[in-house]
Amino acid sequence: MSDVTDTLQLHAMRKLEAVVHAEDRSLVENALRDAGLSGWSMIRDVAGMGHTGFHQGRTVFSDETGLVMFVGVGTAAIVARATDSLAGVFEHRPGVLFVSQVEVMRSNYFGAA
Amino acid sequence: MPTANTSRPALSVSRTRTELLVALAARAVPPLWPLDGAIAVNPLAGLEEQPFADALRDGALLFDARANLPLSLWRRLASRDGLTRAEVRGVAIERLGGPTDAFELLGPDISLVDCVLARLFDLPADAEPALRKDPNAALLAKWCGAFFDGGQAATAMPGRSSGLWQAATALLRHDDEFRAFSEADRLLSDCPTDPVVAVENGLAALHVSPDDRLAVLTRLVARLPGWAGHIRWRTDHADPGVRQQAPATMADLLALWLLLEQASGRDEPVADVELQLSTEMALANHFGFPPGDGGPLLARAAAMAEAELGLIFQIAAERRYRDRLLAELTGSDAQATRTRPDAQLVFCIDVRSEPFRRAIEAEGDYETAGYAGFFGLPIAIHPPGAARIRQLPVLVAPQHNLALQPVAGREEQAREELAGQRRATTAADLFGRLKSGSATEFTIAEATGPLGAALMVLNTLFPLVARRLAARWSGTGSALAPSLAATGACSGLTVAERVGYARALFTLTGLSRATARLVVLTGHRGETVNNPYGTALDCGACAGHAGGPNARVLAAILNDPDVRAALEEDGALPLDSWFVAAEHNTTTDEVALFDTHLLPASHRPDLAKLEVALVRAGDANRRRRAATLPRSPDDCATGAAHWGEVRPEWGLTGNAAFIVAPRTFTREVDLDGRSFLHSYDWRTDDGGEALATILTAPMVVAQWINCQYLFSTIDNRRYGAGDKTVQNPTGRLGVVRGNGGDLCVGLPYQSLFHDDGTPAHVPQRLLTAVLAPLARVRAVVESQEVLRRLFDNGWVQLVVIDPTTGERRRWQTDADAGDRDPYANLEER
Repeated sequence: MSDVTDTLQLHAMRKLEAVVHAEDRSLVENALRDAGLSGWSMIRDVAGMGHTGFHQGRTVFSDETGLVMFVGVGTAAIVARATDSLAGVFEHRPGVLFVSQVEVMRSNYFGAA
Repeated sequence: MPTANTSRPALSVSRTRTELLVALAARAVPPLWPLDGAIAVNPLAGLEEQPFADALRDGALLFDARANLPLSLWRRLASRDGLTRAEVRGVAIERLGGPTDAFELLGPDISLVDCVLARLFDLPADAEPALRKDPNAALLAKWCGAFFDGGQAATAMPGRSSGLWQAATALLRHDDEFRAFSEADRLLSDCPTDPVVAVENGLAALHVSPDDRLAVLTRLVARLPGWAGHIRWRTDHADPGVRQQAPATMADLLALWLLLEQASGRDEPVADVELQLSTEMALANHFGFPPGDGGPLLARAAAMAEAELGLIFQIAAERRYRDRLLAELTGSDAQATRTRPDAQLVFCIDVRSEPFRRAIEAEGDYETAGYAGFFGLPIAIHPPGAARIRQLPVLVAPQHNLALQPVAGREEQAREELAGQRRATTAADLFGRLKSGSATEFTIAEATGPLGAALMVLNTLFPLVARRLAARWSGTGSALAPSLAATGACSGLTVAERVGYARALFTLTGLSRATARLVVLTGHRGETVNNPYGTALDCGACAGHAGGPNARVLAAILNDPDVRAALEEDGALPLDSWFVAAEHNTTTDEVALFDTHLLPASHRPDLAKLEVALVRAGDANRRRRAATLPRSPDDCATGAAHWGEVRPEWGLTGNAAFIVAPRTFTREVDLDGRSFLHSYDWRTDDGGEALATILTAPMVVAQWINCQYLFSTIDNRRYGAGDKTVQNPTGRLGVVRGNGGDLCVGLPYQSLFHDDGTPAHVPQRLLTAVLAPLARVRAVVESQEVLRRLFDNGWVQLVVIDPTTGERRRWQTDADAGDRDPYANLEER
C-alpha cells in the first residue's frame, strides 16, 4: 500500500455494480434501498457490447430507453442482502451484476457501524 | 458519488420479493393519464416483449377482451376498402404454414385454405360474447373513486393521508356491501397496516404457490385496468404534490384485491365454451359433404379462433396499405431548397398536419417540414397561481420550468386576460361549492335557474355565440407566453440551452439553415366543449396540451440575437429570417399566429400574404375533412362549440404510417391524413444520431398512438372507452360508464366508428418507412433495444428505402421467417 493509504484510513467494503434496462431502474432502486444500502451512483445511457449485440447509449428525447448502471458500496452484509434481492429481479428481467472487494474512506457513508 | 448515509433499516427479503412481484405485476397495465392531459398508450404495453400475435392472444385472456375485430366488421371493411379474397387468401396460406399445408385436400377440390376462406368470408360469425360481470371489481372501483377524488365530491374521504389501503380498510367497516361477506369482520380485524405485508398475507391465505404469485397478482391488476393505470400514473409520472394528496401504490390496490378475494372466494374468469363442433357442421354444410368426411383438416379449420381469422384480415389490410403506399412513394430525394421559398412552415408530425401541409403548399411557394410537436423542448410551464403544465412527451422528464408571463407590448391585455381567467375559475368554483352544499343546493338552483336556462338555450341553439361570449369572459390567453428568462422559481433557459434547442431543429429535420424570410413554427390543438376527451385531440408530444406555447418558445429562441450570434459558428441563419409561432386548430382548420406585433415592419407584406394563404388552406382542408365526418364545412366550427357534439373531429383515426424522409419525397402523394411525417435528411446525419432520436422518441410515441387506436377499435368495451353518451367524468381524473366502475381506458366509440357501426379506423400496425442508407438504419436498430423489440416482435413494421439505389427492404420479424412477403429482408445484404 502507498503512503496515501496509511494516512487515508481505508476500510474494506464491497462494491456492487448492476447494469439494467432504463425501464427497470425502479426495481433496482427498491432492492438497494430495502437492503439498507445508504446510497448509490446511477450512470444513465451506458453504451457497450453485450451478448445481444451493441447497445447505443445516448438518446435525446427518451428517459425510458437504453441501459442504466448502478454503483453502490456497503458492508458485506448489506451487499449480500442487495444481491439476494437483485437475484429476484434478474429472475424476471435482463441485466448483469458485478460484486467486488474495495477499500473506501469515510466508511460511515456506506452503512458501516 | 454515493450519497451520505440516510438509509432506512434493511427490510426482510420476503417483503422485498413481494414488493418486486407487485412492481412486475403493475406492468400489466400502462399508466393512465388524467383527463387534463390525456396521453395515448398501448394497453398491451406490458406484453411488448412478446410477438404481436401472441400478445393479442395473451392480452385477450388477461383483460377478458377480444383478440381481434369481429369477423363481421372485417367483412364490412374488406367490402368498403376493396380488400380482395385473393389478398386475404395469400395471407391465409402463410398463416397455415405455407402451400403444402394450406392446399391439403379434405375432399374433391376442397382444401384447408378453402375452409378457412369460407370461415373468413361466408359462414356466420360467432356471436359477440357477453361482457363478464365482476362485482368485486365494481366494489373496489367504488372505493378507488372515493379515495382518488380530485375535488369533485363535496366531502373528501377521511384518512386519505394514510394511503389507499389504510383509508379503505377503515371505511370498509361501514360498507354494507363488504360486510355482507360472512368473514368480513374477522378479515378486517386481522389487517396489517403495511399493504405489502397484507399482500404477502393475502397470497398465503389464498394458498397461492410461489410460482403462481406473479401470475395471480398480474391478473388482479388487469381486472381493474383503469384504476390500476391511474395508480401507475401517480407513482411514475405525477408531481409530488399530487401524489401526496392521495398516496397510493399498486401494493395498496393489490392488498385490497386480495382482501376481497379472501372475503368472497376466488373469482377466476370462466373460459369461453368451444364452438368447434358447430363450426365443423357449418363448414361441411357449406361445402356439401358429411362432417365425418372432413377428418383432422376440417377440425383444424374449425378450431381456428376468430382472433386468428381476424389477424389474417388484419395482415392482409396492412400489406395492401403498405404495397400501395410504397408504390406511390417515388418522390425526389433532392435537397429541399431550390430558390428561397416565400415562407417555410414547420408542423407537428401528427397525421392531421399532412393534409393541411398539402393544402398550404398548394397556395404558393411554401415549404413545409415535420418535427415533433413539442419542438424538442423538454419544458413545463407555470401559469400564475396554478400547477405547472408539462409540455413534453411523457418519455422525458421536464428539464426546464418556464413562467407564463405577459408578452412584451401586450402587458395591459395580459392583465385583462389574467383577470378574466381568475373570474372564470372563481365563478366555477363558487358555483360548484354552492351546488353541492347542503344549505345552498336548492337556493342556488332557484337563484341561477333563469341564467342556466338562458345558457342552455344559447349553448344548444347558438353555440357559436356561446363560443364568442366564453372567449370574452375568460380570455384567449394569447397575451401570456412562456418566458425564456429565469423568473422566481422558474429556471428559464440559458443562452447555451437555447442554442442547443435551436440547433436541434436543423439537425433532426435536416432543414437547411438557408431559411426563408418567414419561418412559421406551427403547434396544434383541438377545440371541443363538454368533452372529457378533449385533450385527446390536442398534441400528444405536448403531453395532451396545445402545442402553441412550445412553438412560441422556439420562435423566441430563434429570434434571440444571442442565439443567432452563436449559430454563426456552424452555420448562420439569414439576417432577414424571422420566426413566427402559430397554432393549427385541427377542429376548425383555423391557424392562429402569435406575437406578430413583434414582427419587423419589413416582414409585414410577407405575413399578410401568408395569412391569406393560411385562410385558403384552412378552407380547403375543412372541405376535405367535412366530407369525412360527414357535415358541411361551415358546421365544423359549430361542432367545435356545441356541447352536444360527440364527434367534433376524427382526431388521429386512420393513422397507419410513420415516414422519415425529406418532404420532397412525399410531397406529390396524397397520404390521406394517415401518416406521421418526420422530416429527415440522411446526408446531414452521418453518425445516425438524428435517426436514432427520431425512431426512439417520436416513432415510439406514434406507436403508442397507433396501438391505442388499434386496440380501442378491436375491443372498444375493454380496450376503449365505450359509448360517449353514457360516460360521466369522475373525480376530475377520468371517465366511468354510467354511475361508477372502472376508469375508462382508450378512446370512445364515436372517435373510431361511424354511426352505422362500421369502423372508421382500420386496426393495423404502424408502418415505418425510412429513406436512408440500409446499413445506417440497420446499425441504429441493432443498437437500440427498444427498436429491436418493436420491429422483431412485429409491433411496428419497418421498411427502409435506400436513397441511392431505390432498393426497398423490410425488417423481418422473428415470427415471419419463411413467409412470401415480396420485400427482401433488411438483414439479407
